[in-house]
Amino acid sequence: MDKTTGVYICTGCGIGDALELDPLKELVSDEYGISICKDHPFLCGKEGVELIKGDVEGEGVNTIVIAACSGRVNYDVFDFGPDKIVERVNLREQVAWCQPPNEEDTQMLAEDYLRMGCAKANDTEPPVPFQAEEEYSKDILVVGGGIAGMTAALDTAKAGYRAVLVEKEAGLGGFLAKMKKRITMPYKELTDTGADALIQAVEEHPNIQVYTSSTVEKISGGPGLFSVEIKTENGSASERVGAVIQATGWVPYDASKLEHLGYGKFKNVLTNVEMEQMAAAGKIKRPSDGKDAKSVLFVQCAGSRDPEHLPYCSSVCCLVSLKQATYLKEQDPEAVSYILYKDMRTLGQAEDFYRKAQNDGNIFIRGSVMQVGESGDKLFVEAEDELLGEKVRLEELDLVVLATGLVPASKPEVTPMIKAPADAEDADEDGMIEVLPDSGFFANSALNLEYRQGPELPTLKYGFPDSHFICFPYETRRTGIYSAGCIRRPMETAKALDDAAGAAMKAIQCAEATAKGIAVHPRAGDMSFPEFNMQRCTQCKRCTEECPFGAINEDEKANPLPNPTRCRRCGVCMGACPERIISFKNYSVGMIGNMLKAIHVPEEDEEKPRIVAFVCENDAYPALDMAGIKRMNWSPYVRFIPVRCLGSINLVWVADSLSRGIDGLLFMGCRHGDDYQCHFIKGSELANTRLSKVSETLDRLALESERVKFVEVGITDYYKIPEIISEFMETIDEVGPNPYKGW
Amino acid sequence: MANYDPSFAREVFQNVDFGEEIKMCMQCGVCAASCPLSTEMDYPPRQVFTLIRAGKREEVLNCNSIMLCTSCYTCKVRCPRKIPVVDVMHGLAHYALKQGFVPRRQPAVFGREFWAQVYKLGRIDEKDLPRRYFFSEGLVAGIKGTLDFMDVGLRMLLHKRMKLLPERKIKGIQSLRKMLDKAERMGKGGAGA
Amino acid sequence: MKYFLYWGCSLEGSGKNYLASLEPVAEVLGMEFEEIEDWNCCGASISYVGAGDLAIKVLNARNLALAEAEGSYDIVAPCSSCYIQMNKVNHEIGEDPELASKVNACLAEGGLKYSGKIRVRHLLDVLYNDVGPEKIREKVQKPLTGLKVGGYVGCQSVRPYGEYDSVEKPTIQDELIQAIGADAVPFPNKMKCCGSGIFLSEIDLCLTLVKNILGDAVAHGAQLVSTVCPMCAMNLELYQDRVNKAHGTDFDVPVVYLTQLMAAAFGLDLKRGAALDCNIIPPEGLIKAAMG
Repeated sequence: MDKTTGVYICTGCGIGDALELDPLKELVSDEYGISICKDHPFLCGKEGVELIKGDVEGEGVNTIVIAACSGRVNYDVFDFGPDKIVERVNLREQVAWCQPPNEEDTQMLAEDYLRMGCAKANDTEPPVPFQAEEEYSKDILVVGGGIAGMTAALDTAKAGYRAVLVEKEAGLGGFLAKMKKRITMPYKELTDTGADALIQAVEEHPNIQVYTSSTVEKISGGPGLFSVEIKTENGSASERVGAVIQATGWVPYDASKLEHLGYGKFKNVLTNVEMEQMAAAGKIKRPSDGKDAKSVLFVQCAGSRDPEHLPYCSSVCCLVSLKQATYLKEQDPEAVSYILYKDMRTLGQAEDFYRKAQNDGNIFIRGSVMQVGESGDKLFVEAEDELLGEKVRLEELDLVVLATGLVPASKPEVTPMIKAPADAEDADEDGMIEVLPDSGFFANSALNLEYRQGPELPTLKYGFPDSHFICFPYETRRTGIYSAGCIRRPMETAKALDDAAGAAMKAIQCAEATAKGIAVHPRAGDMSFPEFNMQRCTQCKRCTEECPFGAINEDEKANPLPNPTRCRRCGVCMGACPERIISFKNYSVGMIGNMLKAIHVPEEDEEKPRIVAFVCENDAYPALDMAGIKRMNWSPYVRFIPVRCLGSINLVWVADSLSRGIDGLLFMGCRHGDDYQCHFIKGSELANTRLSKVSETLDRLALESERVKFVEVGITDYYKIPEIISEFMETIDEVGPNPYKGW
Repeated sequence: MANYDPSFAREVFQNVDFGEEIKMCMQCGVCAASCPLSTEMDYPPRQVFTLIRAGKREEVLNCNSIMLCTSCYTCKVRCPRKIPVVDVMHGLAHYALKQGFVPRRQPAVFGREFWAQVYKLGRIDEKDLPRRYFFSEGLVAGIKGTLDFMDVGLRMLLHKRMKLLPERKIKGIQSLRKMLDKAERMGKGGAGA
Repeated sequence: MKYFLYWGCSLEGSGKNYLASLEPVAEVLGMEFEEIEDWNCCGASISYVGAGDLAIKVLNARNLALAEAEGSYDIVAPCSSCYIQMNKVNHEIGEDPELASKVNACLAEGGLKYSGKIRVRHLLDVLYNDVGPEKIREKVQKPLTGLKVGGYVGCQSVRPYGEYDSVEKPTIQDELIQAIGADAVPFPNKMKCCGSGIFLSEIDLCLTLVKNILGDAVAHGAQLVSTVCPMCAMNLELYQDRVNKAHGTDFDVPVVYLTQLMAAAFGLDLKRGAALDCNIIPPEGLIKAAMG
């Protein structure tokens, strides 16, 4: 694109009071040869915007550098259409509001930011959205026909999209259809399951194609372009869909492992699932002799919250036992239910049902089972009653019900093994090693994706598909594939309905966005996508292995085969590539390199060190803006460069900076690890790993490793910014100036 | 090892004023933390409810907790399950005494004399009630108690804070008694209307 | 402003200074009182020993029924114990028709009937909400400047419903103390129970409770303590020397009714109006000093 650039400096909000305007304008024309450079006291006002629009129309300006407030605000005001490049230079939050006015260092900071903005605008091309050659599909595939799956399909269809529902059982309904009643809003009484009506609605809906007794054999392609092969009872079927919802649900924890609670030993000890099915079939009876049960003890957390079994809380078992105790009361008002619990957990409004069950006269005992035994034809339980502070014995029990927890259907019973890498320490004698949960090769078969990174969704340690439960529920680590219901986390039916609706909306959004060639969350609307300069590829596989979303497949020669519709535009591949062959139209290794070059590095004797901070634009950058808004102060020697994700940082930038005399480099990004906050899941972790290997570069340059530092900055950590920076400045002060200055 | 026996809980639900309210207890302990005298009690209120649930009849009907309640209502105000803990404690004490237990001697004696006077006069006579209370345990105890309280009585008298005339029966005392008798028959655990 | 004044069993005896100061203060404020004809005892906190819950409710319902037959004024209870008993029964009858019919079946034995039309209110509620601190301020002739008063609210005066002040952090007594020119000294234990229900039967426990209240008030700077309940007043005042003996303290804190302070501030006679001579620990010195 032939660029005509205009630079517009706002002098409002205190910017004009803190800076001298003329030197800024001079550098724009002298250093970047840009002749259009104007200032305005209220650039985001009507008159200011008209000033820019006038130049767009009159002067043919198509590249607009706005030196004003943070790019996080007024982006709608400064939108001049998709064919115009807009680059924002943050002179407000990160200069005028955090630095003393009219000081030499403040002026130098502003000048550097303006140079970096001009350099960046110079290297930016307007992105052109990706358009596949094939036709896009906006149909939604739902795998799993339980309450979540059926609801997702129905909600999809109601929203005007075609849904394809695949269920492995002969009939729809899942666990919902096996229940007698359910407890749901408003949690006062038992409610009908509604399974029949829901199944009928799904089956009769003209926009839902149901495949029962069927499984997904293969899914290839990417969002908008998925090809699905379905194995049906008598043959096969193919579908093309735009997005996928996995709602394959849960299985009960294997009670055969709970022999210490009498399961398998005594006929009248059963699981809550068996109890539910018995109740649904008719009466609650003693399996041993078919007599009606009159006295039942529920063991809560049977195998749950137990490091030997299920370490987590399934969140529904308390409610299930309350429900089943209510069945018993309805069957026989004189019957007694004891509920032996660790903590009663009835979340939210479900507390009302707990109250009801208490009011019904059920007896709640906080404690743990010591022994389940048989005496005559009755059971007894000996328990530690925590609140009584005694060991107690409950006799004459007809049934003991084990409230077992929920295991995601994705969790394999036996962890799959793969061939261990040569340097693995914990390989077995055959050279095999356990697959890690966050590998695509871990989970049970459900989707059979033709992805380089494995056929299933990567999971968290307990086998639930990995997604950020607060920031982006339903998202998974495969773009366009969403999870809903108990596969995502254990949940009651009311929450499964919410989940289904949420996932359906996400799936539809994805199908629509993909058809337009734009990204989904978190870079929703982004039109750029990575382009590969294949001539220089060395088939090192780093991009295909490190992409957090499995977007890049490989051919047999290990050449990367990008799938742009699977891409989340985080740039992790760009950061991974040692040959720097991956770049976006508006984000590239060279562009950041030129921004680094734009920074003026003073001579050593000026005693003005220079620090470059690469800042994650999702969390750390807003925190910086917040610190500016709060008028916090920090060193004027730091230059912040926002990046899409720390995972997109290419190590060549470290070498570029240090060899130019930059004294230190700070990487500010999201928390990583089990409780990660990275919007691209693995980005900050990858950055951290890469940085730990940077010492090689530093050694080669004979520089101290303290010059490079990684800090975790959450969006709410703004108050830590001054301290983080001053600590780093002290470190740099100690190690002294970079000896490469002036080379 | 104690055996769980739900029959006492049923007895409490059926016969004790406000007894069924304890079903709602979730054992959070706010009552115990709020009670001004819980440290003096054999069991804090929460624990009393646990004992009822476990069927510990003797322990419950004999524990001083149910008679140490000062009726300050802090527990009732704070209970997240809206259990009227004060009323439950009073109900339990009343029931225990009716069943022949004496969970705490002095408040039981005082309370008996108090109610006897209400039933007799319709009002309380501030001079007469302490006297009856002190002498209810015999002459010696009565003289000792009166002497111990002589200072208090004298000062009250000197500062005009003692009604000199004895309290007379209210006019409607006969009908009041009829009402109360009927209420006792109709009340929980009563003989019926 | 006309009310039924429910005297209760203490107001002519141990609560003499309450009644003696309330009547002239009410006159100044334009409040008119009528006694409920042939009222009976409320049963206080200890009746449960001798009576079942229904009997205690009927006992109180009789007073409500008598009042209802006599007029349609609110009942004002100056005693917190009377207030809580009557108010509680009134609420419970109002919320539970089944209970109401049981109670009425009992009242019928004496030819009475209660339909639930009477409101029961604490004196403090009426002083604050019907009269109001503004009007009280207007009537002040001798502000009690600089007098540091610990406004002891006690437990039963706002509970359990908190109808006119917070059950956990009540403030209105303090506002009234400020209205008569004195300094209200808030202290955390102003809501703690003084134990008057076990005044005679559990003296040792009662002394500990009294000590904790007085100690807290003094520690926060109170020179004297004001109350709105004859039970609290008696307990806090009469037991001070016993507390001193049992706990090695040296309390000599006057305990006065809020109405006594108001009477003094309104310029009424300190004896005939404020009945300060009825107090065992004399408050005159402090009050006179404050009046200047």
